[in-house]
Amino acid sequence: MEKSEIFEKVVKILTPYVKSQEALEGVSPETHILDDLKVNSARLVDVVLEFEDAFDIEIDDDDVDKVETVGNAVELIEAKIG
Amino acid sequence: MQREFSRLLSPIAIPLIGIALRWVLGYRIEGLRDFRREYRRICLEQDGPVMICANHLTMIDSFVIAWALGSPWWYFRHFRTLPWNIPERSIFAATPYMRLLVYALKCLPVERGGSRTEVTGVLAQLTHAISNCEVALIFPEAGRSRTGRVDPDTAASGVGRIYRGVPNCRVVCVYLRGDHQDDYSDMPVRGERFRGAISIAELKTDYRGLRASRDIARQIARRLAEMEQEYFDDRE
Repeated sequence: MEKSEIFEKVVKILTPYVKSQEALEGVSPETHILDDLKVNSARLVDVVLEFEDAFDIEIDDDDVDKVETVGNAVELIEAKIG
Repeated sequence: MQREFSRLLSPIAIPLIGIALRWVLGYRIEGLRDFRREYRRICLEQDGPVMICANHLTMIDSFVIAWALGSPWWYFRHFRTLPWNIPERSIFAATPYMRLLVYALKCLPVERGGSRTEVTGVLAQLTHAISNCEVALIFPEAGRSRTGRVDPDTAASGVGRIYRGVPNCRVVCVYLRGDHQDDYSDMPVRGERFRGAISIAELKTDYRGLRASRDIARQIARRLAEMEQEYFDDRE
């Protein structure tokens, strides 16, 4: 799967959790999920579990801590897909 | 080091907090003896790790809960049972004086929603403390409930992660609420009377990884929601 395709899917999954629609319009790999998109930190796990379902991968507890930006999520998923 | 510093100050700090809650703010806890007896039983029955999970409605819940669970004398003799807390840094550790105070009260301040690295580090410290048979108090909802009711769907998975990281951890659910507490607030009203209950949660999950952490967190929050329902049923 192409990186751009993963990026688009990640943004689609994030959309319902995003509180800052303005930040969503200019979303890039550097966009911070909690600080910029204002996703509730307690909901980050729900987001990551949706990544698991959408990409058919398994993400460890420790891996969630590495997901700060949209780009981090894309890279993690890319690595898991192999 | 922090534990020993807290222990050193505990003969002064714990009674002072008790005096402030009881005599300055006028709080009372219905069934205080029963609360303390049950907590003593849980702590003495087995030496293993214990994590307290509670509902969260005011900024001083952790103080009120610690007061409800043990007398100064009890904590002096069994210091490990005085719960560690993870208060919000911007509120409870905003000034050097407050930082010193929370340091002395077994608190690990954290910025909720802050850097993942920092939050993870604090959770790791807490997991380490519980593994060493220190008791910790955690609010599964992470923040004060905006609806005034426990919502299992909002439970943060961190509590499940800690539970999974500590073999044989027992989870003690504490539901405590003031009679005048309709929803969340900074402080309970003066002269407030608290009622509630304490019980051990039986937890089991067939999931793995993150899903297991979330499942455990929701089970704990569901138990608290049941205790909440019992609280309101009793009041009717």
